[in-house]
Amino acid sequence: MDPSTTGTRTSARRGRRRRGLAAAAALVLGGTLLSACGSEGKPTLNWYINPDGQATLTQLAERCSTDQYDIKINLLPASATDQRTQLARRLAAEDSSTDLMSLDPVFVAEFANADWLAEFTGDQAGQAVDDQDTLAGSAETVKWEDKIFAVPQWANTQVLWYRKSLAEAAGLDMSQPVTWDQVIDAASSQGGTVGVQANRYEGYVVWINALIEGAGGNIIDPDTAEDGRDAKVTIDSQAGKDAAAVIQKLADSPARQPDLTTSNEGTSLGAMYPADGPGEFMTSWTFVYKNYVDLLGQPGGPADEQQLDDLGFARYPQTVQGEESKPPIGGIDIGVGAYGKHVDWAKEAALCVSDPEAQLELAVNDGLMPSRSSVYEEQRLREAYPAELLDLWRQSIDSGGPRPKSAFYSQISNAVQARWHSPASVDPDSTPERSQQFLEDVLSGKALL
Amino acid sequence: MSTVTAPRTEPGDQGARKGVKPPVSDRARAENSLGRKLVAPAIVLMLLVTAFPMLRALYLSLFDYSLTAPDDRAFIGIDNYVTALTDGLFWKTTANTVFIMVVTVVVELVIGFAFAMVMHRVIFARGLIRTSILIPYGIITVVSGFAWQFAFSNTNGFINSWLPFVGDDFNWFAEYPSSIAAIMLSEIWKTTPFMSLLLLAGLAQVSEDMLEAAKVDGATWWQRLTRVILPNMRAAIMVAVLFRALDAYRIFDNIFVMTAGANGTESISFLTYRQVIEQFQLGIGSALSVLLFISVIIVAAVIVKVFRVDLAAARQEG
Amino acid sequence: MKQKVGLVVGVLFVLAWCLLPVAWIISLSFKTQESVTVGNPGFFPAEGTNAGLDNYRSVLDNGQFLDAIRNSIGISLIATFLSVVIATLAAYAIARLEFQGKKFVLTMALVIAMFPVVSLVGPLFDMWRAIGIYDTWPGLIIPYMSFTLPLAIWTLSAFFREIPWEMEQAAQVDGATSWQAFRRVIVPLAAPGVFTAAILTFFFAWNDFVFGISLTSTEAARPIPAALSFFVGADPFNRPASLLAAAAVVATIPIVVIVLIFQRKIVAGLTSGAVKG
Repeated sequence: MDPSTTGTRTSARRGRRRRGLAAAAALVLGGTLLSACGSEGKPTLNWYINPDGQATLTQLAERCSTDQYDIKINLLPASATDQRTQLARRLAAEDSSTDLMSLDPVFVAEFANADWLAEFTGDQAGQAVDDQDTLAGSAETVKWEDKIFAVPQWANTQVLWYRKSLAEAAGLDMSQPVTWDQVIDAASSQGGTVGVQANRYEGYVVWINALIEGAGGNIIDPDTAEDGRDAKVTIDSQAGKDAAAVIQKLADSPARQPDLTTSNEGTSLGAMYPADGPGEFMTSWTFVYKNYVDLLGQPGGPADEQQLDDLGFARYPQTVQGEESKPPIGGIDIGVGAYGKHVDWAKEAALCVSDPEAQLELAVNDGLMPSRSSVYEEQRLREAYPAELLDLWRQSIDSGGPRPKSAFYSQISNAVQARWHSPASVDPDSTPERSQQFLEDVLSGKALL
Repeated sequence: MSTVTAPRTEPGDQGARKGVKPPVSDRARAENSLGRKLVAPAIVLMLLVTAFPMLRALYLSLFDYSLTAPDDRAFIGIDNYVTALTDGLFWKTTANTVFIMVVTVVVELVIGFAFAMVMHRVIFARGLIRTSILIPYGIITVVSGFAWQFAFSNTNGFINSWLPFVGDDFNWFAEYPSSIAAIMLSEIWKTTPFMSLLLLAGLAQVSEDMLEAAKVDGATWWQRLTRVILPNMRAAIMVAVLFRALDAYRIFDNIFVMTAGANGTESISFLTYRQVIEQFQLGIGSALSVLLFISVIIVAAVIVKVFRVDLAAARQEG
Repeated sequence: MKQKVGLVVGVLFVLAWCLLPVAWIISLSFKTQESVTVGNPGFFPAEGTNAGLDNYRSVLDNGQFLDAIRNSIGISLIATFLSVVIATLAAYAIARLEFQGKKFVLTMALVIAMFPVVSLVGPLFDMWRAIGIYDTWPGLIIPYMSFTLPLAIWTLSAFFREIPWEMEQAAQVDGATSWQAFRRVIVPLAAPGVFTAAILTFFFAWNDFVFGISLTSTEAARPIPAALSFFVGADPFNRPASLLAAAAVVATIPIVVIVLIFQRKIVAGLTSGAVKG
């Protein structure tokens, strides 16, 4: 090898290399600039929303933007777990651009405990939660250690949706509270089905929790839930067994939908108005009504007005005969990121996007029900929904059974999913006991999740 | 996804060079120094993006450290490792991962070999075949996962109606055996082309003369395959197996998309991901990261040992 | 004759294997979203549920997806470019020069190529949030080096080995200057290899999912595979199968185009000197 040629070639190479690196550096810089734009002029408040009611939320963001700031919508993924992951990652990174966020109520405790949320104090606290007006079930979700860390924007609850003709054919009197047993039997006697949420996800825990609460028990002793890792696990109880018995019964019943183990709020919608068959009983959230109204005459929806009239609703079924049911509570709370550059403005904006007017819009347009009692009296809402349905929802939210309020809720939920999924494997004699042990191990950091 | 482009070894060339110490001259020294300078950026970068985070993981794994309670971080020694290694879930996911690895690699090997034979023999439509075979290879794994998940879906898929022995409303993702089958099919579909291209290259090395001679000697098709073709492709097969196995051991994307770990389909990578990214348990998550790394090394060592993979054939000597 | 029939069957099988799922995802992308929400089984859209190009319009109207395409293209190209440049230097040294630690470089590249990427996301996330490059392009480009660089080094050193470097000297003997010799002889010989390495590296970067979901949280840097996994459609509870299919098709088009144009080169790159017995 000739050293001189090597040398020349290398310098030629080096020239190329230098230019190459420069180009690369320019590209990297360009990328950084691209991803960090939007800092000039009026400040922008970033609001991370979940996909429910996007169009209305976009309008709200416009209405609540002021001369001082603009509110920009950023869409989060569809599942509650993914939403939490996305937000928590930003907040753990002390991200200053997370100003407003739509939070599933179950994650407020965790976020507040990690100091990720700005506290609402003074007048603002009074506006966030109006003791006279805010429904108890919703108000409770935004409090952590007796301080207020978010604003309830809308409230959600589940009721029992069903085809009146199906209940009638089965001879089930829906004017009285019904039990899960009765519902499953009624459906299977007529070749109908029962729609629930039992995929391995948060929605399944919603069901399990409602069943346990409805039997007078809890997953975690509510008095100790705020103690975090030291909370007392109470899932292995008669109530836990009663809940497991319901799940087992459905899993073994012909009324089970084929995709039971992967079911979610969407999968059972289509079974209400099937091409043939008598339809279903389904426990699901408030959006269901609007969904079917909008689907009138379309596939998956009621064929005509008569079929729409056949859609019945009743209070969430009882786990145990005679014991009042505890419907699930959900909804969205608006939290303000603790590391934002404009925390005060963000709080102002959070109150604005959750004010009575905003709640009315969300309810009328998207079927996302108000967390304030007074909004249920609004004429526009009364026109959009049957009065009995509005009253049923309001009552359900006020008397619902919330999920454990723990800074470790995400672990608790995952641990319950791990032991209670698949529904086909649930057994009253062993599932509550096994999940008790596992939950204790997980909370004390002795088990992997 | 993986690729192997093992640089060709040139035995003659190496034989000549091996053992002969280059004379230490200025020129050799200059070359030595230039060589090191040229590889330095690559070395530094590779270490920076792997070894450094790995050391950091090793450090974090000694703490009880959750991002949701950063102030409670505490040194706990090897407790995280004890927790992980005594946990049934760790072993269950490891077993599942090994199962996926073994089944997918074996199936890929068989189908991939058949594909390679077809490509080797075929004289028409070569371009079409090669283009087709590169599409699964190039497709995003997540897309492959979706395609198969929807194909198996009982509400929107077609497989239930095509398969005579399953009902139209059979839910593939309800139980372990059917969901793992769907996941493995997605993995196999995507990676078989790669396997077949590697085997094709190996096949090209088998001398036609030898095959002709065997034929003349009256060897059956099966004898030619097992006595001539396969032994001569041994190195190619073993390297393909090694690379694909290690790749399969890291399976994550398909599982994430298709079942999110439900029904016990979780892999060791997925378990680690969940601890770190979903639960923010950086302590135990880092311990799992370290264990995952170690287990990859063990798998590699076992494969090299058991199958006597001649790494020298895959490694550029000299 | 029998062999020929077998071969034809084999070819058909290979084609079906490779193309059927692709055809399926294309077919799925034409089912209307409403019909998918209700359930629309079968390979082809049921009668009256053909969405035409509606799903494609929605996808190309979706700001998040467009951002993801921009991110994926940008991040993958930069990562490819950087790793190919750096790997070219290394591969040149490996193929052409005698120096100590040569084996070490290749072994290290091999080991790192086999590295379980999930092991890296925890510490990387912790570091990135501390230095503030979480959810940015550089925050993905840097970790991409962990797999693109070893891949590029291996592919390139395989190619460079094949280059008859003596030709350069021969050209010089024939009177060319060393620059001319380099440009006229070596560059044309090396370029296909560099190019192929770039294609393969790009495929890998384009395919990444683990880093993409772990180290991003908004459309500021989220690449296509991660965006696909979070895709939200008309039905917020279920993955919008047909919309996702349309998005998947769009995300696959660049790959198909590259494959169509460079099929020969890619095969050569994948198998170049792949193991001699």
